Amino acid sequence: MNTRLLMILRVTVATPRSIGAVPHGTRRTVPITGGDFEGPRLRGSVLPGASADWLLLRADGVLELDLRATLRTDDGGLIAMRSFGLRHGPPEVIEALARGEAVDPAAYYFRTTPRFETSHPACAFLNHLITVATGDRRAEGPIYTIHELL
Amino acid sequence: MNARPLMRLRLTTAATEAIGPTPHGMLSIFPITGGSFEGERLRGIVLGGADWVTAGADGTFELDLRVTLETDDSALIHMTFTGVRDDANHYFRTLPRFETAAPKYAFLNRLLAVGIGEGHRDGPVHTIEEIL
Repeated sequence: MNTRLLMILRVTVATPRSIGAVPHGTRRTVPITGGDFEGPRLRGSVLPGASADWLLLRADGVLELDLRATLRTDDGGLIAMRSFGLRHGPPEVIEALARGEAVDPAAYYFRTTPRFETSHPACAFLNHLITVATGDRRAEGPIYTIHELL
Repeated sequence: MNARPLMRLRLTTAATEAIGPTPHGMLSIFPITGGSFEGERLRGIVLGGADWVTAGADGTFELDLRVTLETDDSALIHMTFTGVRDDANHYFRTLPRFETAAPKYAFLNRLLAVGIGEGHRDGPVHTIEEIL
């Protein structure tokens, strides 16, 4: 698998909203309050209005992530990002994350698959890109290192 | 990014069902009649499914596939992928996901994967790697 760095995306999050037990697991939504992204070909900020992560804790202990965020490049282009992901690990690691402690991201599996939509000509290459990301859950919000699949 | 091989998946397809121009582009459905998959941890056959392919105005295809896999020890695996095929740029990449109830293959429920596709006369071949 050949990849190259697309961007490092940092999002800041507000207090999660616990929806509770739903038919497929336990649902939590996490509003995204802002953030920034930077890579060799694009950089900018995360818009808070329509950005959030919809989390579903499955019965098998795997957390499914379903993130939507609007990005704004430094030259004014808007990008709609959606990403599906999975997070799981040893119980003690997941508990430490829940307490907001700093945990080595190598200690758990946190991977996502972002897709992008834009009409901004400078970023049109994003429309047909398959990407994969490794996540690092921090107390203030996750950091995603997103690689383009070549 | 680190990855390791998961399987090589060969699909055989039947005649395309051309739905035609829809609000999202030109939709064609490729019935999948069979195939096989093989990797170090699992192997078996493809029972069937289809790929819903939407052609955009710029000549790229968005893929949306669902198939059922049967392992050689009779476990069933529900596999889906979305992907992009852009022949002008030789870009044919997918994001497979798996669901199974078989304990032996439960690791598939917990992983994300990427696929590199190749078009062949008798159907596409996907080299699928697990994202580590």
